[in-house]
This record gives sequence, C-alpha cells and structure tokens, in this order.
Amino acid sequence: MIRILIVDDHPALRAGLTAVLRAEPGMVPLDAAASVHDLWPALHRTKPDVVVLDYHLPEHDGLVVCRRIKRELLAPAVLLYSAYADASLTIPALLAGVDGLVSKAAPANELYDAIRRVSRGERVLPPISRELLDQAGAKLSADDLPILGMTLDSTPLTEMAQTLGLEPTDIARRIDRMIKRLKVEIPVPRGAR
Amino acid sequence: MTLQRTAIGPLQRPWTSRWMALLLMTRLFGAAVAVLLLVVHRVTAHDGALIIAVLAFTAVSLAAFTLAPRLQLSPAAWFVDSLAVLALVTASEDWRSPFYVLMLTALILPATGLPFRRALAWGVTFMLGYLGVAVYAELDTEALENSIRLETIATHLMVPLVVTLALAYAADVLERLRDERLRSERLAVESERQRIAWELHDSAKQRVHAAHLVLSALHGQIDGAQAELVSHALGELRAAGADMDTSVAELRTPLEGRSVQRLLRERAAQLAPASDAEIVVRGTVGELPAHVAAHAYRIGAEALTNAVRHGDAAHIEVLLSRNGANATIEVCDDGRGLPAIRRPGSNGLRSMRARAETIGAALSIGQGADGRGTRVHLRLATDPREGNERP
Repeated sequence: MIRILIVDDHPALRAGLTAVLRAEPGMVPLDAAASVHDLWPALHRTKPDVVVLDYHLPEHDGLVVCRRIKRELLAPAVLLYSAYADASLTIPALLAGVDGLVSKAAPANELYDAIRRVSRGERVLPPISRELLDQAGAKLSADDLPILGMTLDSTPLTEMAQTLGLEPTDIARRIDRMIKRLKVEIPVPRGAR
Repeated sequence: MTLQRTAIGPLQRPWTSRWMALLLMTRLFGAAVAVLLLVVHRVTAHDGALIIAVLAFTAVSLAAFTLAPRLQLSPAAWFVDSLAVLALVTASEDWRSPFYVLMLTALILPATGLPFRRALAWGVTFMLGYLGVAVYAELDTEALENSIRLETIATHLMVPLVVTLALAYAADVLERLRDERLRSERLAVESERQRIAWELHDSAKQRVHAAHLVLSALHGQIDGAQAELVSHALGELRAAGADMDTSVAELRTPLEGRSVQRLLRERAAQLAPASDAEIVVRGTVGELPAHVAAHAYRIGAEALTNAVRHGDAAHIEVLLSRNGANATIEVCDDGRGLPAIRRPGSNGLRSMRARAETIGAALSIGQGADGRGTRVHLRLATDPREGNERP
C-alpha cells in the first residue's frame, strides 16, 4: 500500500487527485495540503511514502519545496505534478532531488504508474537530450558542471563532497544556486499575487 | 508613449475642431468690431470698400477652413490667411487698425497646430510682419518720440506674442493630457487582460485538469460504447486545455518587453530539435510599439513553425531588418512550398493575415526567390502614429 500526501493550491485538483487515488487499489491519499504552510504539519503527522507536489505553488517554487522535503529524515519520494512538464524542467528537477515528473494533462493511469515507480525508488523523468544538457551547461559556471554530472549519475551527496574535496553543505548551497539559474520561468501575470 | 507632434504635415489632431470653433467665434466677433468701428468712426476715405472686403474675407476664410478641414492644418493656408489680415491692416492706413482683433484670429490655427517652439517662432514672425506693416503705414521717428504712442505700439506688438504663447501652451497641455489618458486606458486594459489570463490559467485550467484526471481514471474500467464516450470527452478536455493555453499566451502582456528578434531566436531554438532543417535567424527590427511587436512576433513564429512542420526544408532563414521607419520580417525556406489545396483545419495563414491587418502591416506569402520553397514577407508600419490605434 502506497501512502500519498497531496500538495496543490487549487481545490478542484486536490479533490480530483484525492478521488482518483482513492479509487486505485493499493493507494491511499492521506491528506491534501493547500499550501506549503499546511505541508509541514501534514508531512510530520502522516509520514507518507510519496508526496505529489504541485510545481507552481503560491509564493513558493516547487523545486525549493522539494529540496526542503528531501532534507527531512526518512524523506518521502517526491512526484512533481506540473502544468508545465516540459523537457526543460527535467534537469532542475533532477538537481532538486525530484523522483518523478508528471504533467497535469496526463491521464490517471500514467499518474498511478509514476507513483508506483517512485515509491519503489525508481526515477520517472523524461530522457535528458544532448541539447538540453548543452543548454543547461551554458547557463552554469564551469565549477558547477562536475556536480551536474554526478547528480545525473545519482551520486550521493557525501561521495560528491569527497570527490570534490568540499563540505556537503557547500555542495548543497551550490546545487541551490544551480537550480535558481536553471529555473524555468513560469508565466505568472504581474500583480496577480 | 511614443505619440509626439513631430511633423507639420496633415496629422489628425483631435482638438482641431475645438480650435476651429474658437476661430469661428473670434473671427466673427473681430469682423463685427471692425464693421462697427468703420461705420461709427470715419477711418479712411474708402470705408465702404473696406467693409465689403472684411465681410468677404471673413466669409471666404471661414468657409474654406470649415469646408476643407485639411486646410486647418496646412501651413500654406495659415500663411495666406496671415497675409490677408495684414493686407487689411495695411489698407486701413493705420496700425491702430479697426482690423486689429480680426488680425489676431489668424494666430489661432498655427499656434495650436504647431509644436510649441515652432508655434512661438510663427508668432514672432507674425509680429515682425505686423511691425513691417506699421512702419509702412504710418510709424515714423516723430511718432516714436511720443512716449504714449511708443507704449501703444509696444503693446500692439506684444499682444500677438502673448496670444500665441497662451494658445500654444494650452494646445500642448491638452495634447499631453490626451496622451496620458490614452496611456492610462491602455494600462487599465492591460491589467484587465492580466487578470483574465490569471483566472483562466490558475482556476479554469486547473479545473479542466482535474476533470480530465478524474475521467481518465475510468479508462480501462469500462468498455465498448461507454469507453468510446469517455475517450471522446477526454479528447475534448485536452483540447479545452490547449485552447486555454493559447488564450493565456495571447492575453499575457505581449512579449513582456522582450525583443522580436530574441523571441524568434528562442522559437527557432525550440523548433530546431524537431527538424532536420538548419534554421538561421539574422538581423533586428529595432524598437517597435508593444502590440505591433507582439503581432509581428506571432506572425514570424507561425511562419517559422509552418516551415518546420510542413515545409520539408533543408534551410530556413529568418531575416529581420530595420531601415528608418521600415521594418521587415522575412521567413524563407527551400522546402516543398505552399500546398495547392489548403490543408483542412489550417487556421495558420488566416490568423497571420488577420494579425497583419490589425497592425496595418503588409503581409505577402508566396514562392521562394528561385521558385522553390515558401517566402513569407511582412512589412511593418513603424510610424508611432499609425501603430497607436487601440488594441
């Protein structure tokens, strides 16, 4: 049985996701948080296996939230659920420790499949093409490239620190900076929030 | 805001009709004063002829300005008008002429129709013309030794300047006020579009996603006719989501300050992986009014997309150029060229034409230079006055 926590700011999607996940055997939606503020108590209370996280939360970037979730002890798998699941999101998502990326436009069976796979510890990300890697490389400094390479190879943080002769906290800070640089700008209307 | 009074040419000035009304009133008043003075006081030996002349001048000048509004903004017409009033003053043989008030009315149109500085220059020239008439008519050294007469001539010379200054200032302020109002209206429209885009995206589209998700959970649990119905509904929901994306893209601030060339380059980079063609984007169109730039970009992007998707081309070239007021965007490919029969459901070309029409640009879509491929050529009107109609 996979225990799932939903984070989405829109009530229709929270209700829809909850209903859809409840209908699927082997999945239990534990709670649905409307904001990052509600997320932490829910996370600590329910201790889910998988968090289905909206990429575009009010006042918060889904990737930053994911980094914070992953810093928790016994962190759950994080499935980024985004209206903009295009390929350019893949590398920043990977750096942020996202386990899976699913488009909000995908049908339910794709979502079920992704949830099952991330709960088993697999990664469900679109393939990273040569162009995508080149584009990302162009935006990053030369020092960051080894970190990007090792992240793509799923190298643990401690091992990365050892190889580069840096403190793990330094590496974490650099990854934060890389995410910021690679972040996909989402069209938020000015003054809307 | 790029609206500026830059040319003397016949530009459309919304306040012209009000200045014309002022001219009508003051000139009739000036003519009445002149006739009254001529009747009450004996001014010259030929007062009768002067009365006929002033009535004829008033009638003809007002009729000409009213019937041919183009003349209201024509410096040549102002010049003829000024010469005529100065001629009347000369004919009255005295610079303290009964036609003085009438003479001042000739300043109204140039003072309000010209940019501020040029209007002042016109006023000074007019004053010098009046001084010339005064010297010719009567003014001599003896008159200048009389301090009262000196004061009178000084006052008579200053009045045209003051009138010009006041009118030019008023016209300038009104113009700025209008620009400001246009700008704030535009901003209001803009923020309303933002709000609608936000609601579409953040609320309506999320509901569509939710409905699609819930419905798609039925898939695989039902079969036969019902499954077909469900998959039909799913298709519709996906299409609704795509429609919303398009609407949001249209509603968002056009381009948000990014340049046309940069966006076309980005679009080319997005399309490049999906195509075997080599895409080159060259040149720049320079500064364009915001909504002209927005439509120009979408026309260029559509042409580029068509070339990539349907053209079967090896080379695609996007050339942007700017030469003074002329900006062009050209998208050429060496592919199959336009289909003889329109692809069913292709709105692309139609929407390109509609966009070009909206911004007053000339769009031609045809064969490439050597008879191969497709060439889309867009010529933009970058004159700020033309580009400034309401979106």
